[in-house]
Amino acid sequence: MKEKDLYVEFEPQRSVYYVEKEDNSFGPIISGSQLSANYLDDFWMKKRNLEAALRKQIIANEISPIFYYMTLQEMGPKDLASRVGMSMRKLQKTFRPEQFKKLKIEKLRVLADIFNIPVSNLFQTFLIKDENREKLIIEQATTKNEFYSITKVSVK
Amino acid sequence: MDTNTNFKHKMAAHCETGTLVGLLGNAGLEITEPMAFGIAHGIFFGYFESKNFPFPTFIVRTRPGEVREKLAKSLKIDINRLKFKNQEKGMQKLDDLLADGRCVGAQVDFFYMDYLPEWIRVHNNVHFVNIVGKDGDDYIISDSYHHQIAKLSASLLKKARWAGGYMAPKGFLYYPEKIITKPDLKKPIIKGIKKASWNMLNIPIPFVGVKGIYKFADKINTWPKLTRDTEHLSHEIMKINILLEDQGTGGAGFRYMYATFLKQAAAIVNNPTLDEMSERIMKIGDDWRNISYFAAKMGKNRDLGSDKIKELSELIRKQGDAEKAYFTDLKKVY
Repeated sequence: MKEKDLYVEFEPQRSVYYVEKEDNSFGPIISGSQLSANYLDDFWMKKRNLEAALRKQIIANEISPIFYYMTLQEMGPKDLASRVGMSMRKLQKTFRPEQFKKLKIEKLRVLADIFNIPVSNLFQTFLIKDENREKLIIEQATTKNEFYSITKVSVK
Repeated sequence: MDTNTNFKHKMAAHCETGTLVGLLGNAGLEITEPMAFGIAHGIFFGYFESKNFPFPTFIVRTRPGEVREKLAKSLKIDINRLKFKNQEKGMQKLDDLLADGRCVGAQVDFFYMDYLPEWIRVHNNVHFVNIVGKDGDDYIISDSYHHQIAKLSASLLKKARWAGGYMAPKGFLYYPEKIITKPDLKKPIIKGIKKASWNMLNIPIPFVGVKGIYKFADKINTWPKLTRDTEHLSHEIMKINILLEDQGTGGAGFRYMYATFLKQAAAIVNNPTLDEMSERIMKIGDDWRNISYFAAKMGKNRDLGSDKIKELSELIRKQGDAEKAYFTDLKKVY
């Protein structure tokens, strides 16, 4: 592909692509992602819709937070089971709320670590009202105590 | 910042070839990314359905780590490889190597590379970065996908190195020990071309090589049944674009990078046929790129009816035909 046909301006996500240059030689250029430059809004919209649908299922006590995060982070059950150190069958049982509540706190810590979230987020969700979305920031920090995190809400 | 300052950070198309070329350059062997990829016969195709993945997927290059191993073998590079069960020992060894002034390649879970945009970070245990220094509790990272040197906290690096799961990194570190700074590339180039053709045409597994492209063409018709809803199908269809273009392929599923390899190879082995083959794979790459655009538009417009998916399937099948003819001809060159 010719350099001029491939090049896209998109500073947040740039990659190296190989192209046919003006002098007919082949070589690398740094360009923005064509997909992200054009369709990132669509990606976020789908992600938000998926999160809302899964959250609704948690609230209705139909799924556990493990299923919620696994789905959102696009992980396969076999892969997640292996990361947690349990069989896939056993992990799949924990997708149900009644089995989730039987998990030991240490297992929850391992799961939270994999999902890169504080353990407390397996029991709660923070939402900002639409009208305040542009004004507020929620920041979470873990502490040396693996089971204790701090959430700070601030005005932008 | 306590950096091994002789290391020159450079973006690369692909993380494995990028880290390798960076480490070798730092040690005195200058080789281009396409040349490393071509000699190590990295070009490939495979279609996979496994419970390790949340959805069927495809690859456009050989198994992670193979490029490093094949290149090392071809160019007689001595590479030190280290794996660690004990995380503390694995972190300490890394610190010791950095203190010795070494730059070290590491296998990590891509998800924890928090300097990259959130929307591209997925759990993928076969990302490679170079660790080139330490600043307090942070490690200095040269990541082929990032425009500049980055910092990663020790806690995130630890998570990323011992992520567990499918193709777990197990703390893997590597660095070149002994290299030939000006190797003769002629034989490795020819061997790489022959092996790439063989891999694409002759591996007796029904879902890899050219057969993998046909499998993909068939199986994509079943995707609507595997998805939760229209938005999920749209997402998976648009991921075709990511896997071909944005997930470190150099565009068109490594076909553009392979074209560049053949162009460079033609000059080194003095064979104009490779020039022609380079032009041909560049055109095949353009057709893969068109598939990427087609899939992205389909997904965005939610134009996901069975007729449209069949159209996409036919475009992929044509790529199977094109690559079958192409690699058959490439095989005849040597």
